[in-house]
Parts: sequence; structure tokens; C-alpha cells
Amino acid sequence: MVSFILKRIVSGISVLVAISFFTYCLLYFSSTNIARNILGEFASQEQVAAKEVELGLDRPLLVRFFEWAGQAVQGNFGASWFNSEPVIGAITTRLPITLTLVVVAMLCITIVATLLGMAAAIKRGWIDRLVQGAAVLGDAIPDFVLGIVLVAVFAINLHFFPATSSISPDAGMNAWVASMTLPVIALLINGVASVAQQVRSAVIKQMERDYVRTLRSRGIPEWEILFKHVLRSAAPAALTVLSLKFVGMLGGVVIIEQIFALPGMGALAVQSTSMGDIPLVMGVVLYTVVIVIIVNLLVDLINGWLNPKVRVS
Amino acid sequence: MKFGPKSTVVAVLTAAALALTACGGGGGGGNNGAAATTLTLGSVNDMKTFDPTDAHIGHTMPFYQAVYDSLIRRAPGGELEPMLATEWTYNEDHTVLTLKLRTDVTFSDGTKFDATAAKANLDRFKEAKGQDAYQAASLKSVDVIDPATITITLNAPDPAFTYYLTQALGFVASPKAIGTEGIKTDPDGSGPYVYDKASSVKGSQYVFTKREGYWDKDLQKFDKITIKYLVDLTARTNALVSGQVDAALLDPKSGKQAEGSGMVAHKSQVDWHGILLFDRDGAITPALGDVKVRQAINYAFDRKTILEQQYLNEGTVTEQVFGPESGAYVPELDNTYPYDPAKAKALLAEAGYPDGFTLKIPTVAAFDGVNAVYKQQLADVGIKLETETIPPANLVSDMAAGKYSAATFQLYQGEPWVAINQMVSTSALYNPFKSETPDLTALIQAVQNGGDKSADEAKKVNEYLTKNAWFLPLFRLNQMYFSNKKIDVQPQLQQAVPSIYNYAPAK
Amino acid sequence: MSMIQPDDLVGQTGTVVRSHPVKKILKNPMGLASVVVLLFMVVLAVLANVLAPFDPNFADIGKTLSPGDAVNILGTDSVGRDVWSRLVFGARTTLLSALLCAGVAIAIGLPSGLIAGYYGGKFDGVSNWLVNVLMSLPGIIVLLTVRAAVGPSVWISMVAFGILMAPGYFRLTRTAVQSVRNELYVDAARVAGLSDATILSRHIFSVVRAPIIIQTAVICGVAIAIQSGLEFLGLGDPSVATWGVMLNEGFKNIYLSPVLLVWPVLAIGLTIGALVLLGNAIRDALEDAEKIKAPKRGSNTAQAELATTRHRPERTISATVESGTEHHLVKVSHLGVGYPQADGSIKKVVDDVSFHVDRGEVLGIVGESGSGKSQTAFSILGLLPDNARIVAGSIQFDGKFTVAPTEDRVSQARLSEFRGKRISYIPQEPMSNLDPAFTIGYQLVTPMVRVLKISKAEARQRALKLLDDVGIRFPQKTFDAYPHEVSGGMAQRVLIAGAISCEPDLIIADEPTTALDVTVQADVLDLIRDLQKRLGVGVILVTHNFGVVADLCDRVAVMQNGRLVEDGDVREVLRNPKDPYTQKLLGSMLEGKEPMTMLVSAGMTAAEAAVRDDESDEKELAQ
Repeated sequence: MVSFILKRIVSGISVLVAISFFTYCLLYFSSTNIARNILGEFASQEQVAAKEVELGLDRPLLVRFFEWAGQAVQGNFGASWFNSEPVIGAITTRLPITLTLVVVAMLCITIVATLLGMAAAIKRGWIDRLVQGAAVLGDAIPDFVLGIVLVAVFAINLHFFPATSSISPDAGMNAWVASMTLPVIALLINGVASVAQQVRSAVIKQMERDYVRTLRSRGIPEWEILFKHVLRSAAPAALTVLSLKFVGMLGGVVIIEQIFALPGMGALAVQSTSMGDIPLVMGVVLYTVVIVIIVNLLVDLINGWLNPKVRVS
Repeated sequence: MKFGPKSTVVAVLTAAALALTACGGGGGGGNNGAAATTLTLGSVNDMKTFDPTDAHIGHTMPFYQAVYDSLIRRAPGGELEPMLATEWTYNEDHTVLTLKLRTDVTFSDGTKFDATAAKANLDRFKEAKGQDAYQAASLKSVDVIDPATITITLNAPDPAFTYYLTQALGFVASPKAIGTEGIKTDPDGSGPYVYDKASSVKGSQYVFTKREGYWDKDLQKFDKITIKYLVDLTARTNALVSGQVDAALLDPKSGKQAEGSGMVAHKSQVDWHGILLFDRDGAITPALGDVKVRQAINYAFDRKTILEQQYLNEGTVTEQVFGPESGAYVPELDNTYPYDPAKAKALLAEAGYPDGFTLKIPTVAAFDGVNAVYKQQLADVGIKLETETIPPANLVSDMAAGKYSAATFQLYQGEPWVAINQMVSTSALYNPFKSETPDLTALIQAVQNGGDKSADEAKKVNEYLTKNAWFLPLFRLNQMYFSNKKIDVQPQLQQAVPSIYNYAPAK
Repeated sequence: MSMIQPDDLVGQTGTVVRSHPVKKILKNPMGLASVVVLLFMVVLAVLANVLAPFDPNFADIGKTLSPGDAVNILGTDSVGRDVWSRLVFGARTTLLSALLCAGVAIAIGLPSGLIAGYYGGKFDGVSNWLVNVLMSLPGIIVLLTVRAAVGPSVWISMVAFGILMAPGYFRLTRTAVQSVRNELYVDAARVAGLSDATILSRHIFSVVRAPIIIQTAVICGVAIAIQSGLEFLGLGDPSVATWGVMLNEGFKNIYLSPVLLVWPVLAIGLTIGALVLLGNAIRDALEDAEKIKAPKRGSNTAQAELATTRHRPERTISATVESGTEHHLVKVSHLGVGYPQADGSIKKVVDDVSFHVDRGEVLGIVGESGSGKSQTAFSILGLLPDNARIVAGSIQFDGKFTVAPTEDRVSQARLSEFRGKRISYIPQEPMSNLDPAFTIGYQLVTPMVRVLKISKAEARQRALKLLDDVGIRFPQKTFDAYPHEVSGGMAQRVLIAGAISCEPDLIIADEPTTALDVTVQADVLDLIRDLQKRLGVGVILVTHNFGVVADLCDRVAVMQNGRLVEDGDVREVLRNPKDPYTQKLLGSMLEGKEPMTMLVSAGMTAAEAAVRDDESDEKELAQ
């Protein structure tokens, strides 16, 4: 077990290094105007040149990368070039918002989609058709379009929720709940539908397995067969879909945060990339990749726990 | 509250249950109680730093005005009023400015404001070369005469210098804080409000609370001011309409929605819109080197219709780049180029371009709509407008680097001298090809040395630029600033958004 | 925004395109609808020049945000551009960019997947690592970075996104190729001297074709969503008319002219929806899934007829069994089992089958596969598939109906009193009949706790004893093991232990030895015989093997095509088969084959035989 985790951590680090370098290269080619953008339109050419030297923009790619990496390894990710906010600080103030959005949406998806998917697989009939239809609809309507509709209806017209976030450090629970409800709904609808469909097909597949029949023949109650045996065997397939959904959602949340003016990672990503704020972009990319790696590791560990066969190999 | 992962999960898991109670009370601050004691603003731009040497004219002024006093204060109409300086006088040749200073002011860290502090700030501003470093370009030296008096010596007369003292150059921070790293995120000023770092989130919202013992109670009309950074126009509109902010800058179209919801419009004109015709010597696009071609372009535009259709008539058509309040404005010049495509074609033919020519300009998402319109107008007289999409962040630098012979843009209409240094003089950012003529140079010098008459001299510059079609000015658009009825607000002349002093609770 | 590739796509690998899948897709209403929508969009895109009255960027400055009229059928946008023209040209750009994305993804994913799957080795390792890198990247953030680096171009972002999507194709192709690589026909091709390239293109490509089409439909949908998302954020190229740019324009004018938002949303929604549906339709067509429709009431079909004569079972029944038959442990009378078909008919798999089993008696049901013998057994157990119907007859157990003469299904409520407790089941395939996720001990203990209502500790004691009884040498070790840790023979012993754990009166064994090694088969049969003698239970042994019947059974019933052709005392039938089918079956079986029991020396007990079986298992357990 320990060696498995270690192996995964090593491979995770290699992925991290590769992505850092790749991103840094990309940013290198976009960094031509950064000094001018930082200093503003009234700065003179000399000021711009001085700033470029200060930021090290005049040095070759590899030198810059290793300098950055050297600092990063020591936990120093620098500060934003534009507003001097330390990268770590910028991320830690925004992370709770994005993670709350994504984690809550994922939790809801997991619970609702599992129940719906199982109901569809077992009851068939209208609930099955509903899930199938909703899955197509969910796939067809991008979540940001749903977000727009939700804002227009529930915030602007009905005033049920604030149109933009009212989250701040001193805001209470109410503000969080009020600000998060619509975005979470926008995020989860299409996830619920498509994951429910995956759960459905996984459950159907498992229900047809021989051991289910044998368990029935042994007098095990139907609910126990479903929740203990079928669900457990169907879980790895659903988990894989969920983990992919999670990665997708880290991207999808970017647009949702823009619509609801939520000060999360997505807003930070759009701002920092469009301005070429290299330290911040690197921070954002690294954070995302680290989260993805951790989630994948967790999924593998859970899969191992669920399926003893995988655990051994 | 602290956001442990557990608490946040619980928080939103109970979302459904609490949502109904949460929405009953309405969203954020500034929305409760009869007489407003709090003010919440939606800002288009984010606050980059609290370092006053990096302050920038325009959208972020309210952030600085909350925490710093400036040496001179600018009234909403543009008149200069005393603030930290009680009076100011120039010498004969307008090269030495004497300022009398207040002596009863302290900074938020307890330090006393005096002449030394003022000098330290001015010196630091010149040395720091921040965003608006140009404001200190003519500043030669600052001398402390006595604790309540300084003299500022200029290299050459600068008609806009007193105006600068109301802007970035005029902000005064505690001498203990200036030049430190800390000032970027934790300001120490003498302003009417203090920054509440604990309640603020960088890049999202900035909270300022009333400062105890401030010297001018009239400037402290609220207990708390919150400025939210809302970059997206629709998000800003939604926030205003749903009562989460008290005031925000919208545009003519979203303004319709705000008006429908009972918001109050406060219109002012700040920018002129049009096309900057940079390549007046024909380096990239030879045709632009011919004054007749530039004039033809000016004749080709149906300004009135575009204003009506694109901006719902929220603005005024113009053919000059100086604003009515600048002093350099010449009303008659607005009849120079009536819409006349036939004349445009004739001029093009005279200039040797009967079949027109191709003009390439950069475009970004924000200008996409108008560029489609401009393209059509120019096509009607035979000029082919090609647009090249570039990242918005590169727009200014690409223009400044002389990559394009012309560009769609909107430029701030400030004091004449500011405007000249922005787009006309050879050192101006928006004169990338450094176009100049001896005639114009002479006119510009006259403005610089004109003293009290410099505005009149600027009229001549204006006439020259208009007649020679240096630009394609189309209109001055209304700055659509909206507020709800809980507060009163006055627009600030030549400033994108009102100064922080211009807000008051509604009576 | 999902970048999900449905899991069952991967499971699709190995499917070869069968005849006329296109026809099947078009027959499916969803498939037809999606094809129509997509064709419509393609026509728009191809004929954009003809269909659009204006250049997409032509602005009529005097006519902005106008409603539809004769000139601008869908009206104009905020700068006076014709909405219809932009929609049509938008279809071109949007579809082309989606295809570009899918094309790039295929161009990278397919060949690398082929090579990695076919040759494996270092290339496989490196590309898998790269795939991990790509899959760890959140798409939008990468696209934002790419855009910052090279500018806002639709085409460049779609190429970048295509690269990000390549792992989908890579994995698909790689698994498909791996599973096919060692198949016989590929070996044969290799032996026949075909070059690797020829094999790859001829054999393997045909295998991955279908899943790739499905994957492409999905990816095109995702690409359109992502692209319009970026453009919605204002991060696209505003000078190119695409649906995303129109969406952005519509959102800007949402208060003035909300209809501007409707067209692009409709176009995007319809296209992505159609792509998703098309993917589903292709999958359905390939899986050959025939959906069984519920019979319509009143329609004059076999199903309707059935519905009038037979109905769902109720919890309690008034009908009592024929007097004089109560003493039979099981009595099956004129049983008919059928499956409703899509055309309203019913396909019968068991027809007019009658037999009975008494306590302590072993009945063999013999027949070839498809003869209905397993269906008969499952009817007694109540484990028929959901869509199966009892079309005739009745089943009684210990003097009570489990299927009364008028019922169309087995009453689960009534059977649950018997199942596990009084009737138990030994399946055919030992490995697939144990849940791989639970230990053997757990799977033995739980039924006893549930059925016998005894404590866990007691059940555990009994389980260990049972394992010992069925001849497992290290009961504790096996008790703690997971199913994959034991051999097939051992698993079958575990299943037998499970079957007798609750002291049943009747054991139904469905081909209990077929899946086992020949040497182990005899041991297991001996075990069943031993137990049957010792416990005095009734046994129904379903098999295709007369040898097994001869070895174990008291009586035998022979089935063919769902009907009972002959039954009687085992010696009688074996010696003197009356039905020609029985004779044929016997003949084919005896030809050159020794009876199984000959492999076990006489007098050897089940426990002794089990030792041999255990020896190999021990090694496995020790590892």
C-alpha cells in the first residue's frame, strides 16, 4: 500500500514538473507586453525597459524557469506582478470558494446521481426514461447557459438569491448559502444527469452478474444485495466518471464564477492569464494539477478498497 | 468566520434549507436601514496596490481617496479646492509653486502631517516612476520653507501641475510607510476612511471604515464604504439591480435595464471615441500620409446614426478631440466634417486613391461591434478596413509600439495640457510615429508657456489637429453612472467614476 | 463543460461493426432525429454562402436590434448584422472547429494508441505517462494560457483542445488493440506473413472504428461547448462569426433583445444534443439492444391474451394444491415460460413441463443448451429474469403454490420464505457466482445471519465447520480469503457449503461441474452425493451430461426445445431410452468417452479427494 502511494506520488511529481515547464514555455511566448501592462499607458519606454530587467523578462527561458522552480521547490511562489499579492495568499483566499462550489456540487451529484441511476436501473419505466432524457438534455445544455438562465429567473426576476456573490471574510453562513446556491445548481445539473446515466448502466451491468442471482438464492434481502453488493461493484465505474467530472468541473467553474462574480480561482485564472501575470498563472496551474493528482490518487485508493482484486495487484 | 473544509461543506449542504431565509433579507451591505450609513460601490477596475506612487487616474481613484488625502481637492465641476494645502500660488513665470499646508492633520499610524511629509511624498513619487509618473515629469525639486510651507520648483511651466496635485501626484502617505513593501497592501494615509484589511478580499472587495478624529467631518458621510470589483458588465448590472451595490458604472444598453428597475442615471462625458490615425507620415499605410485621405475618412462617417444605433443616443457627436469643459473646445469645429460620402470619395480620388486602399487595425472583443460598423462606413467610400484580433492586454502596447497605422480607441478628455501629452506631443504614448510639424510644435510651446492663457492657446492646437484630421473623433459618450435612490451622487468632471467625496446618503 | 468520456465507451471495445448499423440508427427515432438535426446543421454550414443573404460581418448601421422582417428574417444584432447570416456562417465555423478539434485528437490519439497497444514496451510507457499529464490538465485553464500566449484564434484553441482530448482516443484504441492483438485471427494473419502495418490497418482498425465514431460525436459536442464557453467569456476571436460569439453578443443585450440569446442557445443545444443522441444511437445499434415494449392493452396478441388469463401474483393465494400431491417436495405442472417480443408475440422457452421431486430424491434434468432446463430450474427458484413470464402451469413447493395456476410471475414474496432456507442453489460457474468484493467468510456468514437469525459469531463457527465439511483443508484461511484468491474447484466447494448452510430441503444444482477441471469435477460430484446422502435432501441436478446423471440421480427427465421428451427411473432410461432424442443424446455422450466416475478410485471419500484439490490451492494461498 505504502509503496503504491509512494509510486503514485513520484509519478504525480513528474507530471507536475512536466506541466510546470510546459506552462512556463507557453507563458514565455506571451510575456512580451507584460512590463507595459504593469506600468500602464503613461509609462515611458525607459520605465518599461527597467521593469523588464527587474522582472527578469530579458533573460533566457531556461534561466527564468529554473529560477522560478528553485524558489517554488522551497515553497516560495512569489507574488503577483500586478498587485504584489503573494501567490499563496491569492490562492488561499480564493480556494475555499471554488472548492466549496466544486465539492458541494460533486457531493450532490454523487448522492443524487447514485439514487437516480439506481432507481432507473431497477425500476426502469418512467424514471429510466426521465434519467435518459435528462442525461441528453444535461449534455446538450452547457452549464454556463444554465447559469445565465438561473440568474435571469431567480436573481433578477424573482429576487430569491443575490445575482452576484456577497461573500466576504466577515459574511456569515447566510451569505455563503445565498451566494453559492445558484452556482452550485448550475454546476450540478448536467453532472447529475450524465453521472446518473453512468451509474444506471453500471448497475444494470452488475445486476446481470451471476453472483447477484446466487445471493438472491441464498435469501439475502433485495435491498442488501443492491446497496451492499451491486453498488459496491458498480462504484469503480461511477468513481472514474466522477473523477473525470471533477476535473472537468474545475474548468467549468471558471465560467460559472464569472457569471456570478464569485471571487474564486476561476476569476483568478482568467485575470492572471489575460494579463500574463506569470507567477500567479503558475500558481493557479500548479494548484489545479495538484488537486487533480490528489483526486486521482484518492479514486485509486477507494477503488482498491472497493475491489480487493485491484488492491493486490 | 473561518472556512474549514468541513464548515463550508456543511454550509452549502444546508443551502436548500437556509436559502429561503437567506434571500428574504436581501443580499449584501448598503441595502438595509432607512438612512444609508454604508455605501457599496461596484468598480470596473481592480485595485492593484495602495502605494500612492502607483495610483492611476480614472476608475481606481475612489480607493485612494478613501485612505489618502490629496494636497489639492478637485470639486465635481473641476474647480480646485483646498485639502491638505490651504492655498497655492505660482511665481511670475509659472515655474515655482508655493503651497501652504494644514498643520492639524495626522496619519493613521499617528505620525503628524507637515511640510517634510509632503516633500517626502513628492520626492518619492518622482523617484518611484509609478504608473502616472508623467505627472512628476516637470517636477524639479521640493523645498521645505517652514513646517507649513513648501515650494515646488518646475523644470518648465506645466499648466496641468495643480491638476496633478489632485490626482496621483497629490496623494500623501505617512512618511514612515512610503517606499515600504507594506504600503502596497496596507495603506497609511490621512484620509477620511481606513482600510479594513480583515474584512477585505483582494481582487474581490475592499472595505473602508470611518476614521475617528478626521479633520473634515464633511467628507465622512458614511460609516463604512465597500468597493466591490465587478469586471463583468452584466454582473455589475445584476448587482446594482438586485441591490447588492448602491452605484456602478454601466453602459447605455444595460442602463436601460437599470432605469427600468428604478435606478438613477448620472451622466457625464469623459472619453471621446473614434479612430486614432497614427501613421500621419505614411510609414505603414502611405495613404494616411495624405491629409486629404484623413479628411476623407472624417467625411465618411455618419456620426449621428452610429450614436443613435450603437449607443442609444447616449452621447454627443463631435469632430474634435478636446472636451467642452477643457477650455480648448471650439464649438464651430464640430461642423468641419459633415457626413458626406461623395465628398470623401472625391477627396480620395484627388489624393490619388480613387479605388480606395486597405487599412489594417487591431481589434479586441470590446471593439468588435463598432469595428463592424466602421468597416461598413469605410467600405461605402471604398476603403477596406481589415481587423486583426489581438489579446486585449496587448492593445495599448501594440499601439504604442507603432505596429498599426490606426486603431479604434477611446481616450480620456482631460485638461488640454494632459491631452496634448497623451496623444499629440512627440513624447505622447498615442503618437507612436512621433508625428510632428513645425507649426504644431510652435502651437504646443505656446500652450506650455501660456500661463493663465494656456487654454486659449490650446484652442489653436485643437483647430490645427481637427483641420489636419489627425484623428477621427466621432462622439463623446455618456458615462452611464447609476445609483439607487438610497444615495445621492454627483459625477466628477473628466473622471471615469465619481470621487469618493461625491457620494452622500439620500435626503 | 464536461470532458467526460462515458465509461461504457471503453467497454465498447472489441465490437465489430455488424451488418447495416446505419439502418438500425435510422430506425431508432432518437437516432433519426439526431441525424436530421446534424444534417440540417451541415447543410447550413456547407451552403452558408447561398443561404446567407449577407456577409456575416456586414453591418447595417441604421438597423440595429431590429426584429425579424422580410430582409433580415431573424432580425439584426446590436450593430445591425443579420442574425440569420451569422447563424449560418456560425454553423460553418463552429462545426469546422469542432471537427478540427476531433481531427487533431484522432490524428494524435489513434496512431499512438495503435502503436502503444500493438507493440507495448517503452513507447507504451512514455505515452501513458503523457496521457496522465494531459488528463491532469483542466481544459479551460490550459486554453486560457494558450490564448494568452498565441492570441485569441478559434482554430488555435481548437487545436490545443484537440491535443487535450487525444488521450480519449489513445486509451480507446490502446485497449481495443491490446484485446485484439493476441486473438487468433491476428495471429493467423501474422503467420500468413502480413506485415504489421497491414494487420493494423485491416484487422485492428475495423475493431476500433465504431467506438471512435461514438467518441468523436462526444468530443465534437464537448468542443462546441468549450469553444462557446470561451467566446461567451469574451475570450474568443470576435471578428469570426461563431455561435459562441453570438451568445456573448446576446448576453450583452439580454435586457434589450433577449431573442438574440435564443438562436445561438438553440443552435448549440440542438447540435450538442444531436451529437450525444447520435453517439447513443450508434452504441445501441452496435449492441443490438432490442427493447421489449410493454404489451398494449386490448391489442389482439399473444401478450394481450396472456394478460387476460394470467396476472401478477398476490401475496397470499386462496388456491390450494391438488390433494394427494402435498407430499411432493416440488411439483411442477404443465409449466410454460416465455419472453415477450417486440412484435407482441411471446417466445416460449419452456412448454408444458411437468415433474416432481420427493425428499431425499435426486432428479436429473438433462438436455442440450437451449433446451429450457435452466429456465425450468430458475422458475422453481424464482430467479427468472425480470421480463420472463410464466405463461402456463403451476409450481408447488411442499404443498404450497409458489406459482399458482393463474399467475404470470413467480411470487417473490412467497418464495423469499423458502429461498435460502428451504430451497438452495449451486450455480454453474463458481468464480462469477461469488462477489469479488467480499471475503468468502462474509458471503457464507451473512445468509445464515439473515435466514437462520443466528448471531454472527455462531454463523462464523458454522461456516468454518461447513468449509471443513465440504472438504476444505484450511477452513480459516479460506474463510478469510477473497474469491480471486482461491481456485475454481475450491470456489465451487464454497458455493456448495453456502447452498447447504441453511439446511435446505431442496438443492438445485445448475451444471455444478461444467466449469471445472476434469479432475476436480469428480470430486465435486462425490461431494454432492455424500452430502445428499448425509442430509437426506432432495436435489434437482441440471446437466447436459448423462455421465453425471448416471452417477448421481435416482430419476431423470430429458428436455429438448423447452419440452419434456422423456422421464423415468435413471436406470430404466439409460438402459432403455424410448425417445429418439434421448437415444441420440446418450449415443453421442458414450462415444469414446469414459464415465467421469472412473477417474476416482472406488472407496475414496470426498474428503480424501478434496485433499488433491487443496494442494494446488495451498500454494496460491501461501503466496
